[in-house]
Amino acid sequence: MKEPVIKHYALIIMLMFACLVTSQVMAIEIVTHHQVIDSQLTKSQLRRIYTMRQLRWSDDTVINVFVLPNQDELHQRFAKELLQIFPYQLNRIWHKLTYSGLGVAPTIVSSQQELLQAIINTPGSIGYIEKDMLITLDDKQDTINHSEQNKAQPISGKGVVNIVKIKS
Amino acid sequence: MLKLKANTAVYLILIIKKLSSRRHFCVRTILWAFLFISTCLSVTQATAEHGYINAQDFQLHGFISQGLIDVNGSDFVNDDGELSTELTELGLNASYQLTNTLRFAGQVVYLDGGNRYEKGFRVDYALIDWSAYNDQYWQANVYLGRFKNNHWLYSSSRVVPFARPSIILPQSVYFDGFRDIAVGSDGAAIKISHSNDTLGNFDFTLSYGSSPISDEQTNIILGDFALGEAEQDYETQGSFYWQPSFSPWRFGFSLLDSDFNYEKNTQADFFYDSKFSLQFYTINALYEGEKWEFSGEIYQQRFVMNGFYEPDYHVDNIGQGFYLQSRYKVNKALTLLARYENFYLDKDDKNGKKLEENSAGQVPYYFGFHKDMTLGLNYDITSNFSARMEYHWVNGAGRLTPVVVPNKLINNSENWQMWAVQLMYWF
Repeated sequence: MKEPVIKHYALIIMLMFACLVTSQVMAIEIVTHHQVIDSQLTKSQLRRIYTMRQLRWSDDTVINVFVLPNQDELHQRFAKELLQIFPYQLNRIWHKLTYSGLGVAPTIVSSQQELLQAIINTPGSIGYIEKDMLITLDDKQDTINHSEQNKAQPISGKGVVNIVKIKS
Repeated sequence: MLKLKANTAVYLILIIKKLSSRRHFCVRTILWAFLFISTCLSVTQATAEHGYINAQDFQLHGFISQGLIDVNGSDFVNDDGELSTELTELGLNASYQLTNTLRFAGQVVYLDGGNRYEKGFRVDYALIDWSAYNDQYWQANVYLGRFKNNHWLYSSSRVVPFARPSIILPQSVYFDGFRDIAVGSDGAAIKISHSNDTLGNFDFTLSYGSSPISDEQTNIILGDFALGEAEQDYETQGSFYWQPSFSPWRFGFSLLDSDFNYEKNTQADFFYDSKFSLQFYTINALYEGEKWEFSGEIYQQRFVMNGFYEPDYHVDNIGQGFYLQSRYKVNKALTLLARYENFYLDKDDKNGKKLEENSAGQVPYYFGFHKDMTLGLNYDITSNFSARMEYHWVNGAGRLTPVVVPNKLINNSENWQMWAVQLMYWF
């Protein structure tokens, strides 16, 4: 009788471990330039920013949006999981803006490293990056300014980005 | 990435080399120029990787596409019915943010679509965009200059091969014969957007202006025998779109009112001074799911003509049409397309019999309608390089050029078919 129970618990622990590993792998962080004062955003706000329906931060500074190429796996996950919009819908909106003169679409960069570099260098910028990637990069250089820190006095200086909390 | 860019360049060079005939000399020159600019831009992008300070202040984008098209049984693309390379679309655009609220934007395109529209370069848009009001939920923009028609489902992106759903758009609404008049206007437009967390997104656009009509465009619409000058007096257009919050659906409607006049050539002309009036109403719906996408537009037009054939000639008819389109995303790269459209020039003469009777047999009945069944596919080779192909089964000649004086010698059959393939690259 005991053996199946142990097997049962073992399975649950394995599943929990798998979930933990999976969630860690899947985690996507929203990062902004260190001078951006908005430390948390709602999902609606994030969606408005990426569909170019909100162009300014709460202090009226211009938002500079960065994305990875359409077929990039992280871009696909970001669109579906965080924006709840399909990547082809974003393309439709951005193409319309870019090629009909109506507005400006996000800037496309080719890799996560390039995206992080763009966020560090561009005032008002926002982008997304895998948590693992951020941790790896943070080990090499002091990159992250976590949102728990005092946002009223953002840390200035090169090599710092903010991590934004997303409220549902 | 570099490898893909190199592959694309090699492919473009091959296309250019194939355009060996004298007739294609101009196209070849343009393609070489485009390739050169694209290469320069790639280099500029590479060197700019370390500084994005003005990433969105100045942007340069473009596209290049070349296809093959074969039409059997009509003069939709060419008169001889041969396989044609007259499916070239190039574009280069720039956007410059002058101040926090002022932006300049412009696009130049080169188009070759055979008989479908005038071949050559044109300024697609050139405008000043004034961001009159901007907060978290509201945006109000005023556009001055040459702006795109942003009112129908695919009107603003009809010139951009990869941004529209198919190589040839449903001709009922997006008739290529009227392309240069319907694609935009010189004047002013206002766009108000509102985003509401519970009610969704609202977009309202109002525009007023007119389009210059070239001699070639006059011939496309009126035929080679119209030797006078056609002019658009004005065009007023409005549209409203609503997308419920986090919904895959979007709904919209648009209204257009426009007047034209034709001044006969006093030296010699087959026709008389005339006034044309067009009202055009559409309602549309779009569904965008993970795998399935559905869209459709229903429209009605009222066309009034006074003069032209005879000084006191009068026509007042109501045409109607619709198309239903579905797209299925097989995977991240492959999308299938199926579409049906139906259009008739006069709602009281859906089979064109009256048209034939009233013209004493000069205009065959099948010029009174246009039905098209389309199947196609799109394959995204990379994030900005795609291939597309499609087949059309068409019944009727109601959307062929010239419009007013039809060519019944070439278009002597009620049913015709066409297929097309197109490769598209953009940056």
